[in-house]
Amino acid sequence: MKRKPSAASAKALFVVALAAAVLVSAVLAPVAYDYGSSAQSDGTVSVITISGTVSATTVDGISEDLREARTNESVKAVVLKVDSGGGAVAPSERLYLEVLRTAEQMPVVASVQGTGASGAYYGMLPADEIFVLSSTQIGSVGVIGSGGSVPYPDSVIRTGPDKAQPTTDQRERTVESLKRQFVGRVMEHRGENITLSREEVAYARTYLGPEAVQNGYADRIGALPTAIDHAAELAGMENYDVARQEPPSSLGLIFLASQTDNGTKIYKQSAQTNGLVPVTEPLMVDEIAHHDPGVTANASA
Amino acid sequence: MQARDLTGPAIAFVVIVAVVVGGAAVMPLVTGGDTPEVTNLAERQTDLDAVRVDPAEESGEISMDSDASSKTILVDRAHGNQLSEEKLSTLTATLVENGHEVRFVTQEQARGGAWNQSLRNADALLVANPGQPYTPEQLAGVREFNEAGGRVVLLSDPASSSGASAVTSLLGLSVQQPASGGPGLSSSLGVAARSGYLFNMHEYQHNFESVYATSGSGSLSQGVDRVVFHDARAVTSDRGQTALSAIERTRLSTTRRADTYAVAAQSGDAAIVGDTDFLAPTNAYVADNEAFVGNLADFLVSGQKTSNAPSPPSPAQGESAPSAPSRPVPTA
Repeated sequence: MKRKPSAASAKALFVVALAAAVLVSAVLAPVAYDYGSSAQSDGTVSVITISGTVSATTVDGISEDLREARTNESVKAVVLKVDSGGGAVAPSERLYLEVLRTAEQMPVVASVQGTGASGAYYGMLPADEIFVLSSTQIGSVGVIGSGGSVPYPDSVIRTGPDKAQPTTDQRERTVESLKRQFVGRVMEHRGENITLSREEVAYARTYLGPEAVQNGYADRIGALPTAIDHAAELAGMENYDVARQEPPSSLGLIFLASQTDNGTKIYKQSAQTNGLVPVTEPLMVDEIAHHDPGVTANASA
Repeated sequence: MQARDLTGPAIAFVVIVAVVVGGAAVMPLVTGGDTPEVTNLAERQTDLDAVRVDPAEESGEISMDSDASSKTILVDRAHGNQLSEEKLSTLTATLVENGHEVRFVTQEQARGGAWNQSLRNADALLVANPGQPYTPEQLAGVREFNEAGGRVVLLSDPASSSGASAVTSLLGLSVQQPASGGPGLSSSLGVAARSGYLFNMHEYQHNFESVYATSGSGSLSQGVDRVVFHDARAVTSDRGQTALSAIERTRLSTTRRADTYAVAAQSGDAAIVGDTDFLAPTNAYVADNEAFVGNLADFLVSGQKTSNAPSPPSPAQGESAPSAPSRPVPTA
């Protein structure tokens, strides 16, 4: 009589143990799988996307991704997936410095998709290698900005003649200085490969992929998977994971059409760059330091 | 439940919390902070000397050497001429300060015989960026005026409409056309406007379109070493002399060819300058621009024009122009 209840409770205990085992296994199995596969992987290649207009906001996001790549010990290499025609000057330089900081720590390979021009090209300069496609447009090493500002009405009080109203000569010197910085860094980073002179680079031409490989603006023809594999190889990894960092979707762009002498040009109003930006042309826009966005809008025209 | 029963669990609770929190606090001290060393990359990557762009030095005064007095300079304002008051003031102020008179011809004052009448009373003519063509009568008047020793100065920017070519071709001067344009286009109005601007990627003042020009021959280049032109046009003079030539490695935008391009030329009593920006108050004192502006003013007042030219119409003809509506020159 005493055995019966004990046998029943043992059976119940067995069922509970079984159920618990299934539950625990279900939770731990993916962890174990990850552990197993990561034990086989030598590290991670972080693919960071640089697309659209290079602005303070987009560079904030990219910088965060790059910083994460530098501090995460499992990330051994970075691939920049670039499709951008540039943007504002200061964010482009910030991007360049962030990529440079990363490239000093681990291999960085750029893979240009459609366009890698102007500010976007500036940003990828420190990469160990630049991969392009046959249809890639790359280059446009130059700066564009308005030549002066609209005179102020008497109702506006300023404390000096140059306050928020640079002269054409001052603007020319500013843009020239920014150009020298840009061209100088192109020559420094592409120096061994580039067959063009400093003067030829300063023409600010955009080159098609195959020509870019020949003149040294880029290194090889190849798509993104090739670039990723090459980055892993540079980092000495045979088996590797790939982590993709996509930028936040850029909403809030208003497209405007404006009439110019050459016909209709499409501009986009970007809250990020605080002005009008022509869509089709590679840009490195230098804006006048100013508090009135209505006037800075002419910076890219 | 007695308080004694709670003592055990309470001690256990305190000990566990103390170990976990304390451990978390001590752990960083044990493992060491992992703040990475920060290199100042921006400073390391910036060559301050290489990116410094010094302002152009402005010096000197615009002065005239000519001792001629009380000459009358006519400024064409009748042909949609594009020259800002700001730029014009540099030249007119110099002329007026030296005792000369500057008159402007408006569109109304250029109709029919009035144009020649204005020329008759003047010693020199300044034409800048004409946007409208001249009538054959007006051109004939200018030619006669020039042949009689009346000084004519033409200023022409690249963007200006080629109403200028009508005048220049008469005077043996011309605005240079792109080499790819082929023969026969010198007489075509539309093509001249496409002649492009000069640029120099090697040596320039602040911008590739601001080219330096050095002196050649003639009175316009006296005392001039280097002049800065912005967005300038190449000019030629078939029988005259080149006053200023853009420096080596200057190229024409349309052909991209490096060549020796004249920017100012002189042919007897006529002169042409392929730019107006050198007259802007902000540019007039850089390099030797002030000397060139002075030379240009001197050129305007140094002519020896015979009086009564262009000749007044004979009584038989009368001032016939008003009755016969003048037509624009179709080709030149």
